[in-house]
Amino acid sequence: MIIGRISRFLSDFDNLMPVFAGACALLFVLGILLLPLPYSESQLYPKRIDRASSLDPYDRGGPPFTQANISMQYPENSPTAGYVTTYLTPFSWWLSTTTLHLGTTIVAHPGGILDEILYNTRGLDTVVEPTILFIAFAIASYLFRKGI
Amino acid sequence: MLAIVSRAENQVEIVFGTDAYYGKEISVDEMRFRRFMSIACGLACMGAMVTGDLFDFTLFVSLVGICNVGIVAAVKTKHVQNAAFQYGIVALTATVPLFGGAAITAATTGTLSMIALGTALAGPVPFIAQAALVLGVMGEGMAPFYAAKAEMFRAPGAPYVIMCSFSSLLIFLRVVEVVLTI
Repeated sequence: MIIGRISRFLSDFDNLMPVFAGACALLFVLGILLLPLPYSESQLYPKRIDRASSLDPYDRGGPPFTQANISMQYPENSPTAGYVTTYLTPFSWWLSTTTLHLGTTIVAHPGGILDEILYNTRGLDTVVEPTILFIAFAIASYLFRKGI
Repeated sequence: MLAIVSRAENQVEIVFGTDAYYGKEISVDEMRFRRFMSIACGLACMGAMVTGDLFDFTLFVSLVGICNVGIVAAVKTKHVQNAAFQYGIVALTATVPLFGGAAITAATTGTLSMIALGTALAGPVPFIAQAALVLGVMGEGMAPFYAAKAEMFRAPGAPYVIMCSFSSLLIFLRVVEVVLTI
């Protein structure tokens, strides 16, 4: 009986969003109750924030197109890592040297907010993220062109 | 003999109470787009299955979710498109616990390699990170938030929605393995 009622409720797709949002809210309340979580000091991808940098808070260290020392999980897999430490286009590079506000424009360079979680030669991430973006664009353009 | 001579490609709906019936036409354009989405979904599934990195895993899972929305949204039926919209919103919301789980793991253990997390050196992954990971994968295309997809099986001419089911089965197996490992 109760299973039938639950299944009938879930089969209406208008109810999906509230159910999932409720589950997320429960989990986050639980997460707040479980605080504090320990912070591991030995981070593989350390993060230094230089407030004076014009790329703040996206300064990843090192000038573009020269090799820099960066930490890697598996160094043997990428011997040439570190040659490009920032993916600045010439325009972004000019903007960052003339103003202090490039860090406020997330779209100014590839990667953006997602690899703020971690960035250091995590090459596959930067490939998969634009893939997600392009697939989303493909869906949106298809839906736009076909109409209802 | 019937199977030999029949061409059972088109879906026909019969109107009850009368002799009327109507067939459903699927345009080649629609089929082509859904085939592309199925291939992309399969590649994303393979990535999610073989990756050894927690953050890459979450990225591939969200790619699977977006491809599933694309497969479903290509159907030209209003009912199905409404379902696809709801499912898209759920997939959008699910990225918060998904990437949140990966971020908590990175902050508390200092690494994201599943191999390193599997050993005792990295320290224990907090329960809340594992739970957020599971909830995020559920939102991206698993039961019970999966009921919308069951609606899609009634969609006209839909060989490609099988990919939705298949991908969710695969990432379900994978997330169980990941949570048990880390």
